Amino acid sequence: MLLKEIKELLKCNWYSSEELLNKEIQYCFAADLMSDVLRYGRTGSLLMTGLTSNQILQVAEILDLSGIIFVRGKKPDENIIATAELRKIPLLSTNLLLFDSCGILYAQGLRGGKSNLMENDEPKSNVQSIVHD
Amino acid sequence: MNQRAMYSQSFTIKGGDFINAGTVSVRIKRLLKEIGLKPDIIYRAAICCYEAEMNVVMYANEATLDFTITVENITVKLSDKGPGIKNIELAMKEGYSTATEKMREMGFGAGMGLPNIKNNADVFEIESEIAKGTIISFKINLNGKH
Repeated sequence: MLLKEIKELLKCNWYSSEELLNKEIQYCFAADLMSDVLRYGRTGSLLMTGLTSNQILQVAEILDLSGIIFVRGKKPDENIIATAELRKIPLLSTNLLLFDSCGILYAQGLRGGKSNLMENDEPKSNVQSIVHD
Repeated sequence: MNQRAMYSQSFTIKGGDFINAGTVSVRIKRLLKEIGLKPDIIYRAAICCYEAEMNVVMYANEATLDFTITVENITVKLSDKGPGIKNIELAMKEGYSTATEKMREMGFGAGMGLPNIKNNADVFEIESEIAKGTIISFKINLNGKH
């Protein structure tokens, strides 16, 4: 589904140049906790969140997020808008709640997709820890 | 086996600098992309760097991040000056956190940072000295399944 179709479905305001709204969205992820986005988010997802801290853009770049929709009427500040435009990360906002926003998109066929980690087998890390008292 | 460094760079990360937090990891991620590594390698390395960088910003005074790529792996060593970690076993447990309200407002402090590095890295080591600092090292293999 194109981001501009999502914009209509969720009656969004948008803060990015219109060309960025032509992005194809394959997966969505919803969370207010950046730690959860980093742990469970799938690369390339559209993120739905109520969090507007400036770290959202770093997380978006780390995970190559396709865009961010702020829910519950939250709006990004001017710095975030300007930086997002430079980095070509589309920003939108809706007055809808997170649950309703997700429900509308789910009903239209969009899915969350598995997180990158869940696709893998059990991680096989060698952990060594030393504490000096 | 050839362990010769193809590229290495050091960065300084300042504790408490929430404005610039994450910029080192974003630079590293862009670099890995330019080099043309596989997307899942870039993704895992970027997440590990970012989680480690945020830990420094949230808990330490400052840190040096040494980043090396060889033909075999990406190695990152992050040495910080800070309070150290009293109980590493607890810190490695998902959900355990000593984060402040400010950190939580920014969407962090869920106690998932260190476990997330461990999950994404092929090798993860942590060493800490109370009132001195913490050294975190991780490797991501360029070949072979995680």
